[in-house]
Amino acid sequence: MPNAKEKKRAKKMKNQPTSVIFSSDGGPSPHAMWSQNGGEETHQRKRQELRSETSRGYSHQSISHGMPKYLTVSPFVRARAAEIKAMLKAATQKSSNTLVFQSLPRHMRRRAMSHNVKRLPRRLRELARAEAEKPEHQKKELPKSKCRKARRRHINLVAEFNRRQKKNIWLETHIWHAKRFHMVKKWGYCLGDRPTTKCYRACYRAMANHCLLQDLSYYCCLELIGKEEELLTALARMCNVDSGPTFAAVPCLAGRRQGALTVYQRDRYPEGALGPVTFIWKPRNESAVGSASRQLWIWTHPAFKQDILAELKAVCHCSEPMDSCIAKPVVTLPQEESKTDITEKVGQKRKQKDDGEIDVPVKKIIGDGTRDPHQSYRWISQTSGIMISDLTMEILRYRLIGPLSHCVLTEALKAASVHSNLETTYPEMNSWWVENCRNPEQVSLHHRQEAFFELLQGLSSSNIPSGTVLGLTVGDPRVNLPKKRSKAMPNPEKYQDGEKVRQLTLEGVSAECAQSFLWDRNICNSVTENKMPEQHLNSLRSKLLIPGSYLDLGPQESKIPILLVQQPGKIAGEDRPGWGSGWDIYLPKGWGMAFWLPFIYRGARVGGLQEGLKHSLYKRTPHVPSDYPDCPAGIQFARELERNLLEKFKRRPPAKRANYIKHGTLKPFFCPWEKLTLDWEARNEASHKYVDSSVLESEDLAAEGEASCGPSHGMFVPESPRRKEMDASSQNNVQMEGVTDVTELHKGDEVISNCTFCVLRRKKLLRQVSAWCQPAYVKTRKIRHHASALDQQEPTADTLLPVVQRYPRALVWVCLTLLKRGSPELHAMICIPSKDDLFQLSKDKHFFGPQEPKHSDVFKNKVLKQKAMKKRQSIGKGKQNSASGTMNVIPTKQDDLVLGLWPDPLPDVTSHCSRVLLGFVTQGDFSLAFGCGEAVGFVSLTGLLHMLMDQPKEQKGLVLLRNPASLQYRFARLTVEV
Amino acid sequence: MAEAGPPTEAERALRRRLPRRLPRRRSDVYVNMKTDFKAQLSRCQKLLAPGAGGGGGCAELCIHGLGLAINRAINIALQLEATGGGALRLAAHTSTVELADAAEPEGDSDEPQARTRNNSAIHIRVCRAAPH
Repeated sequence: MPNAKEKKRAKKMKNQPTSVIFSSDGGPSPHAMWSQNGGEETHQRKRQELRSETSRGYSHQSISHGMPKYLTVSPFVRARAAEIKAMLKAATQKSSNTLVFQSLPRHMRRRAMSHNVKRLPRRLRELARAEAEKPEHQKKELPKSKCRKARRRHINLVAEFNRRQKKNIWLETHIWHAKRFHMVKKWGYCLGDRPTTKCYRACYRAMANHCLLQDLSYYCCLELIGKEEELLTALARMCNVDSGPTFAAVPCLAGRRQGALTVYQRDRYPEGALGPVTFIWKPRNESAVGSASRQLWIWTHPAFKQDILAELKAVCHCSEPMDSCIAKPVVTLPQEESKTDITEKVGQKRKQKDDGEIDVPVKKIIGDGTRDPHQSYRWISQTSGIMISDLTMEILRYRLIGPLSHCVLTEALKAASVHSNLETTYPEMNSWWVENCRNPEQVSLHHRQEAFFELLQGLSSSNIPSGTVLGLTVGDPRVNLPKKRSKAMPNPEKYQDGEKVRQLTLEGVSAECAQSFLWDRNICNSVTENKMPEQHLNSLRSKLLIPGSYLDLGPQESKIPILLVQQPGKIAGEDRPGWGSGWDIYLPKGWGMAFWLPFIYRGARVGGLQEGLKHSLYKRTPHVPSDYPDCPAGIQFARELERNLLEKFKRRPPAKRANYIKHGTLKPFFCPWEKLTLDWEARNEASHKYVDSSVLESEDLAAEGEASCGPSHGMFVPESPRRKEMDASSQNNVQMEGVTDVTELHKGDEVISNCTFCVLRRKKLLRQVSAWCQPAYVKTRKIRHHASALDQQEPTADTLLPVVQRYPRALVWVCLTLLKRGSPELHAMICIPSKDDLFQLSKDKHFFGPQEPKHSDVFKNKVLKQKAMKKRQSIGKGKQNSASGTMNVIPTKQDDLVLGLWPDPLPDVTSHCSRVLLGFVTQGDFSLAFGCGEAVGFVSLTGLLHMLMDQPKEQKGLVLLRNPASLQYRFARLTVEV
Repeated sequence: MAEAGPPTEAERALRRRLPRRLPRRRSDVYVNMKTDFKAQLSRCQKLLAPGAGGGGGCAELCIHGLGLAINRAINIALQLEATGGGALRLAAHTSTVELADAAEPEGDSDEPQARTRNNSAIHIRVCRAAPH
């Protein structure tokens, strides 16, 4: 053993200063040792020190191993004192952040060491005790009064829930979701992102074959009330007929259909988009013809809400908040209310409120995530009398996607029964319904609505005209909840054929059947307040004579007004018509869980935000808000996404990251639309100059112009890839200098075309572009069926010129389908194939695409240099503390240099790679619906037209797609779906 | 573009809807023109093959074809019969399917319109002949 002991000691002493002596037994702590050793030790010490002194040449004596001749005591002692002080300090401080017992070798560790100090060797006990007393190692203790039972008590639970949803509002189905979903905090709400179970395919199957359920209650509803003409004139400034039907569309105005459009800042139509909305007009009331006051709901995504609301207020001149309706600070209110309840009521009563999470949010949630609870939520205009109110969170909205969503709806919901004997009324509950039942007209209307609802059973959701609205009043869905979860399937016996069904499929629901009591605020509130608590229902159920039989509540049963709105699936394009269609159901608040569970018990599968994204990708509709790059909220979303992706990127070790510079990807996390459109505009101008004067204006631009626009002038020289490679590598260097003059060129443009880019939403033009994109064989097929003028027109320079001039900086939303392998990713690049590529493709059917030559990382040295500089500086700083502080700190100018990412002033994005860049992908994945990679994205209109001009007829609309972290281009077919 | 634009095709967008869908049994095969012929044939063969598990074991099969796919449906049925070695019997029925087209207006002033049109369809029952 002594041998080992010595070895250990030698190890211990290895890093100690020679001037310090440790006692061999290793006392409890250095401090104690110092005090213990006292006098005798000092002699020994001195001798040692003397020796060291000489070796360092401290004294002015000859540097030899002998003893110094003399010694000045005071500086010597001072130096020693400083040394000792430093040593003591070092000994008390732990350098690493390990615990004391972790410094022991394995064989000396004991199981309970971390919480029992006595298990440690005595010399370490002091330290361990000190460590255990530190606050960070102590367990967070819960307040004494809150044992688990107390915490789970309803009142405390509610208080806790209320506290937790102060910042991000919970939906009514939050607790259900939180148990099953990955939750994210977005747009001021807590939303389910994706289920925790493996269900990617299952969700796809649900939306393709059965029914997928989504909670869209976080969507915001803005209510406008006013005279029809006033509303229409105000709203007409925010939209344009060019981009499709507006608020004034006849079927929508009648209230029969839901409309959808993109709203713009007033009078700025092609630019200044604000965001997509859907809207429903309340049907005109037959009885009250005289009053032309109409009610309009505008539904929008919370990301766009603030912009749209502000614009609406400006357009309608609604500036004054209504005093009477200023929202109270209600966020704290539910808690207080429940507390007062507790004090008043005891025992049984208190327990009655025990349906917990369902009951609580019922309590007048006015403050939602997207606005300040202290602000008003209702505005009125003095001049026009229009009233705008913010009904966010007042109306719940669930979306059922899939062909069998009808079956789920019709099985889960039963139309409310009409009260026959009107004498025995229950004054507090359903008074509105009793009132309604007295009116024979209303009763017949209810029966008609019921008949329509019954008819739906035999239809699939895509058979109904898109956007059909059906109002209905239903009974309590909790009453006929099945015992087990089952899958609702259509019943062949209930298939009806005949005039009624045909009328429904052709014309949809008539306007008066779209009427619903949901439009009436008072009725909604009374329905919300008079909801029968879950527990009450259960206790009634338990009193049934035959357990499990149907519970007939009779007139006491709640009646809930709802609104059903058909959501069109895939309407654009050729294939899969009506894919992903479904129904939206609008409910009064408070009834969330009461409707949610019955749907799930009928076999609906629940999806989150990710499933919504996939749904919109498969049915090829722009996703909210990522596919609106010209809206302020869309830009903000893109910025946020960039930040997240960059953070994720930086979390990886540098050697394991993709070097995007080498891949030739300029912005892997963000699509530089602005730059793209600007560059295309510049290219366009350059090519025109080239045509006009036939003189090369600038060496750079002409070379680029040749690559893309050359063929239009009939002098295309097929460049060998080798030359391109050289070009690409040389461009890297050239472009760095070239950037400045190009940007200057753009600055001049900015003055002329005063605005930023916009997304093309003009229907006619889109249809024309769509026809241009089609390859010849599709056209011939089409012409046989229905020849159209659009198809016959060919994209030539003459026809394209006016388009390009009118929309110099427009983006077009396109869909891409990969021809062969490959699945596109987020922000993949859409490029123009060269003549060579197309030639190879036509020759070899298995040619899957060219490769991008590897770029050189010109910034690598800079990054390394910067890193070295930083290191030096940090060392320097350490030195500065002891030495003089004269060393001035060089301000790090480019501290955002990250290895593998292109720093900010971007070169010409279009010609950075060997293929000319056209646009970017905003969503992309392998599509289960289509069986190949699919993507949607935006391309520059100018670029697209240029490409179409040059492509041969048979290969129109073929583009190349390249993922940000890959060098492989893959062929894809580009289509514009209108 | 708007001034000298192409003659407007129509102010309406024609949207064709899928036919009404009946609930589908396992033994119903809807033939389309997109899937490979071979794949559809082998699917039918698999369904007819004996054995309860793995997709087989259907006593009879219904092959439905609509419009352009009628030819293909007949083709599949005949192929099945030919390869079945006399063990299969066919029974064909024709019918008419009502299809709906909707014309959604592009502007504000029009009502949406819809029309029905008829298309022919064929339903071929393929069943095992009773053993003699």
